[in-house]
Amino acid sequence: MRYAKAVLTVLILLAAITALCAQPEKAEREKVVIGVIGPMALPEGQAEEKAVKLAVEEINAQGGILGHKVEVVVGDTKLDSNTATSEFRRLATVENADVIIGGFSSGVMTAMMETMAETKTLFLSDASSPAHAQKVEQNYEKYKYWFRVSQNNGSTFALDLADMVKFLRDSGYEVKKVYVIRDEHVWTDPVMEALKPLLEEMGVEIVKDVKIPRGYSEYEQLILEAENLNADLIMPILAISGTGDILVKQWATLKPDLLLAGHDLSAIDAELYEKTNGMANYEIFLADGGALVTAPPTEKCREFVEAYKAKYGHYPESHQAYGAYDAVYLYKMVVEMAAENGEKDPFDPDILVKYLVRFNASNPVQLTRTIAFYDNHDLMWGDEYVRNWISQWQDGKQYIIYPPSVANGELKLPPWIQK
Amino acid sequence: MIETLIKIFLFGAVVGGIWGLVASGFSLIFGVSRILNFAHGAAFVSSAFLAYALVNEGYSLYFAVSAGLMLAAVIGVVVYALTKPVRDREVMVIIVTLAFALLVQQVLLVLFGDRGVSIEPFVEGVAEIGGVKVTHMRLLSLALAVICLTALEVFITKTNLGKKVMATAQDSRAAMMVGIDIEKIFLFVMVLSSLLAGFAGILYAQIFAVNPEVSLRALIYAFAIVILGGLGSLRGSIAASFIVGYILVITITFLGARWSEFVMLLTIVAILVVKPTGLFGVEE
Repeated sequence: MRYAKAVLTVLILLAAITALCAQPEKAEREKVVIGVIGPMALPEGQAEEKAVKLAVEEINAQGGILGHKVEVVVGDTKLDSNTATSEFRRLATVENADVIIGGFSSGVMTAMMETMAETKTLFLSDASSPAHAQKVEQNYEKYKYWFRVSQNNGSTFALDLADMVKFLRDSGYEVKKVYVIRDEHVWTDPVMEALKPLLEEMGVEIVKDVKIPRGYSEYEQLILEAENLNADLIMPILAISGTGDILVKQWATLKPDLLLAGHDLSAIDAELYEKTNGMANYEIFLADGGALVTAPPTEKCREFVEAYKAKYGHYPESHQAYGAYDAVYLYKMVVEMAAENGEKDPFDPDILVKYLVRFNASNPVQLTRTIAFYDNHDLMWGDEYVRNWISQWQDGKQYIIYPPSVANGELKLPPWIQK
Repeated sequence: MIETLIKIFLFGAVVGGIWGLVASGFSLIFGVSRILNFAHGAAFVSSAFLAYALVNEGYSLYFAVSAGLMLAAVIGVVVYALTKPVRDREVMVIIVTLAFALLVQQVLLVLFGDRGVSIEPFVEGVAEIGGVKVTHMRLLSLALAVICLTALEVFITKTNLGKKVMATAQDSRAAMMVGIDIEKIFLFVMVLSSLLAGFAGILYAQIFAVNPEVSLRALIYAFAIVILGGLGSLRGSIAASFIVGYILVITITFLGARWSEFVMLLTIVAILVVKPTGLFGVEE
């Protein structure tokens, strides 16, 4: 009898455990946790956090994801690889984040991708180094959880810059000589490597290639040198220096007979005009991340920037906001697609990867930008997808001036240009 | 070649003049009260940010600059008050002033973000000197810096109050014994130095742009210049400022922008190896 009781107890326990294990996913889950990670003292991280919180607020107001309330947890990388990996691990394992969004910038991203692979966490990310997508190519199973959402692969800057020169020529401004000012940083080397042959093909000479350290401010000497070398334009390739605002200010003060046209991250700041007392006027730049406050490429983008301003009192402080906002909606979409298709666990990262890759060249998704992925999970580049639109500051507003499919303004040359 | 020489002369002098204003104040504080004021950069950037904010609110440029200078003076008073109880403990002074500098930097980051801001210049336009384009603002900055530094030299050496400052710098106990209120002198020097740094910050924001991180940069430059000139030597600091200005400009001209700060710091180290007390310093 005692033996039978023991067997019965074991059977009941087994049945209970089996029943618990067999509970449907939906019944177990109380909430969806979205992690956002970035350097929270910098505009890039702050914009990511604010954009994610805004998207989550909107989604919760509409009933959450599959009926679950969405919660946001925040990790601060402090732009340091060690801190970033610790924070990523905390979000993934302690906070149980279902997906992590953000991750500016490239060096920090490389480190976090290892923690992502280890914890098998879906990572809808920022940063622009081509090396990240190469990892996915080389070891798909390990790194497949990574998708670049915020901006294009950095090497596409060369294509955009070459297009910029071509566009200027087509618009009647002859460009034969270019003076390059770029960050003394590893990210600009592949851009230059790719840009040189493109410009050579067009018969454009790079009269000087100047590297500058972070915080550099003495641009007037470089502008005068560019003028002496008969350059037709100064092409900045600046993101890390942090002083693109000084370059544009000194260019506008000296009024040399050459254009300022290139990639200057500071020009994307919606408040640059005000911060430079209007000196940013006529600067031609690339709208990194494929969106501008005054030239939103989609209706959702227009709604987003206004909602952002209504909630925070100002427009997005960096383009990372668009990617982070899109990432939340992208996640919601794939989870719902997985559920509709009857997936057993629609939150399983391995399952969701299969749904994310469905957004490809022939099936893009329109959010604040039009998003599609390459096979290596890199963000698709092109006029019909996301690219760094050729833009210009004109009388306090940013306008996209090329390509025509999204342009809301035309090129305006500064009045002091005589060429 | 002549154009290049003119460019080096003018650009080097402007950079040297602005850093001279910052470094002379830093040197003065150390010379008089033996305080290494790591919050010196806070006065440099705070004045510029306040002036920028007020101009944006519609106030006149000169009112905004005056308010910026007043804020710099207030920062001088705060640093004086914070360091007074720990003045005899050098490490504590460094910790207290550094903590205050970081606090100011964080406040500016919260209020203005990490981007640079510019103040409209006192004068606009570009002059051409010997074929070299120079903005009027650069020329005015050089003139103002030279006037301020000359006035400081005259004040220290010729006026009664200046002589009290010098006496306190030479021997504060002896100064006290002859009836000089050295606390007032300490406070006065702190405010004067902060004003110089604040004025330099405003000129800097008119030619370049300031962001909260520039406070640390200003501190590093001031520190390097003061050590090069000889700790506590006012004239040494001014001379060293112009040396640093010229090294930066010459390096940019002949070696390239990427090497400018590297060569400047390397030169300072080389000079200190040969003359550890700095160019104008004397062994105690």
